[in-house]
Amino acid sequence: MFFGRPLRIFRTASFALALLYAALFAGSAVVLGCIVYWTVQNSVDRQLTARIEGELQLLEVVLQADGSAELVRQVQQRVVYAGNLEYFLADVDGKRLAGSLPEATRKLGWSDIEVPDQQNRGHTKTFRVKTKVFDNGYRMTVGDDLAPIYEIRRAFFEALIWTLAAFLGLALLGGILLSTLFLRRVDAISKTVAEIIGGNLNSRVPLRGTYDPFDRLSASLNRMLDRIQLLMETLSQISNDIAHALRTPLSRLRHKLETALIAERNSESNKTIDAALMETDTILDTFSALLRIAQIESGTRTAGFGNLDLSNLFETVADAFATVAEDEGKTLTANIAPKVTYWGDADLLSEMLANLIENAIKHTAEGTDIEITLSTQNGVPVAAVADNGPGVPDQHRTRIFRRFYRLECSSGTPGSGLGLALVAAVAELHGIELVVADNQPGLRMTMSFVAQPPKQAEIRDFTGLSLFAEREKSVPLQAHAVPGVH
Amino acid sequence: MRILIIEDDMETADYVMAGLHRSGHLAEHVSDGREGIVCAAGGNFDAIVIDRMLPGTDGLTVVKTLRSVGVKAGIIFLTARAGVDDRVEGLDAGGDDYLTKPFAFSELLARLHSLARRPPLSDVETILRVADLELDLIARRAKRGDRDIQLRPREFRLLEYLMRNADRVVTRTMLLEKVWNFHFDPKTKIVETHMSKLRAKVSLEGEPELIHTIRGAGYVLRAPA
Repeated sequence: MFFGRPLRIFRTASFALALLYAALFAGSAVVLGCIVYWTVQNSVDRQLTARIEGELQLLEVVLQADGSAELVRQVQQRVVYAGNLEYFLADVDGKRLAGSLPEATRKLGWSDIEVPDQQNRGHTKTFRVKTKVFDNGYRMTVGDDLAPIYEIRRAFFEALIWTLAAFLGLALLGGILLSTLFLRRVDAISKTVAEIIGGNLNSRVPLRGTYDPFDRLSASLNRMLDRIQLLMETLSQISNDIAHALRTPLSRLRHKLETALIAERNSESNKTIDAALMETDTILDTFSALLRIAQIESGTRTAGFGNLDLSNLFETVADAFATVAEDEGKTLTANIAPKVTYWGDADLLSEMLANLIENAIKHTAEGTDIEITLSTQNGVPVAAVADNGPGVPDQHRTRIFRRFYRLECSSGTPGSGLGLALVAAVAELHGIELVVADNQPGLRMTMSFVAQPPKQAEIRDFTGLSLFAEREKSVPLQAHAVPGVH
Repeated sequence: MRILIIEDDMETADYVMAGLHRSGHLAEHVSDGREGIVCAAGGNFDAIVIDRMLPGTDGLTVVKTLRSVGVKAGIIFLTARAGVDDRVEGLDAGGDDYLTKPFAFSELLARLHSLARRPPLSDVETILRVADLELDLIARRAKRGDRDIQLRPREFRLLEYLMRNADRVVTRTMLLEKVWNFHFDPKTKIVETHMSKLRAKVSLEGEPELIHTIRGAGYVLRAPA
């Protein structure tokens, strides 16, 4: 599992922790090692010095008790036995009387000397020696090979390096193992969250029943999700209730007005009934728009999602409104790159684009140019609806997407103030980044279609209608469409 | 036409019944889903109008059941549920059309007519003719008498839909759905502006008008009397 994504594992907190622990352990191992090393070294050192010291004292005693000749004899005898200490005995003139140590040290007291190695030509051995001048004027040097101490040092450092390597290896392995387990738990939670965002409110984080912190966190998350689901269901239930409880009487009202319109021949009351009908329709429109926005915002309505031809959708909508704009004395041009696709709901996206275009048509003066563009930038579909009309002042730009928010200057034009709120809701549902900018002059609404589509490959035919679908493809593109724009 | 109405709200049912009788159709009414299944399965209706939310068995289930037992009648959902996915669900269940409450009776009537006269998928028809207006679906050409009419693709579709529904009123909403595939209500006059352009191309001065506006209902294309 972790071989496929090593980088992710190295970035986890658990891996960093494992490394930190490894570093701490390695550090303590080094400190501990040093203490042991110094202790052992000191002890060996002390033994060595004590032996040399003892030997010197012994020889001095021999000299005092048995005289110079016996001393020489004793030293000569000792030199013969291998594995013993090494000696050098000189008379008052400095002439060698016994011993094999080179005459390198005339210095009294302790010193370390280099001695040519008999077994290993060209190499030297280090000896620790002590030189003392005895009462009769003889100079006695006793020394011992330091090789065992060096051997201890070498063995120790070797052991330390192996230990550190083992530590690092184990820590790395442990870190990867730990992180894999950790990631598996995190992934389970991420997956659930993604499913919830995707609209599946029934999804829950799986529990292991081990009551570890992850399980407790997951359980808390699940309790939160239960609560959210309950709230969402209540909301949807209330929406449905409102829909039923209000729509039905409003429908009746509308039907009665319609019936009255048919029955009534009097043209004066006809006008009044007509006006009442229109008011009823406005109430119903606002009401449905609010319900729709709420529903889209809940993010659970994705049954209509498919992989759709965005270029086709944009062309259809732009073409539909080009005539309307022309009628209002405005020019609508479209610059649409072909074969741009996106994962989404064709109905909702058409409505979003239509709302943006209608907004541009409604809130600008005659002679305004409106431009619709769609292209792919760095693999992301990017679209814009731009005009050179009066624009929206800076401080209002974020507020125009609120429900019922209308600029003062537009209070004269008809509209519910819900069009852009719906645009924002649809954009949010589709993972579209909406940016309102100054077109210098005018307004520019940019849409970046950044969401990653799910892996389904099915292409939903936007034209949809079997009656027309086949033939539509043979029709040349709309007059405004410029192929190959990037 | 014989039309079955499955609707629990009496007021709506009465309104639809009265309208249908007035337009010369035979209409029967049941107010519960189970009864609706029995009635629809047995009675050879041309079209069924069904409420989505019914006591007992809900509308979706009723339609699924009817389709599974082979009922071929055109089915229109009539519902207060105007949710984003509701239409998709309704059509997936086997409904032919979906109309949201409140609705104008003329809208329902136009849709019923359009349903009932849907030809049994004959692809044989490649040239549509109404009076001296001719639409060649293969060559994508329109002619009025000897005069060629230059149509933009969407205008062609609009004219094709009108001609397929010749002599029947088609509403603005139907045109938005079938010609543009728009399932929302634009606040600007898309249909009106396209229609006036099309009309100007189809009937030049002096030629008899073929496309007529029906006030408060929609449009109709018919041969001059």
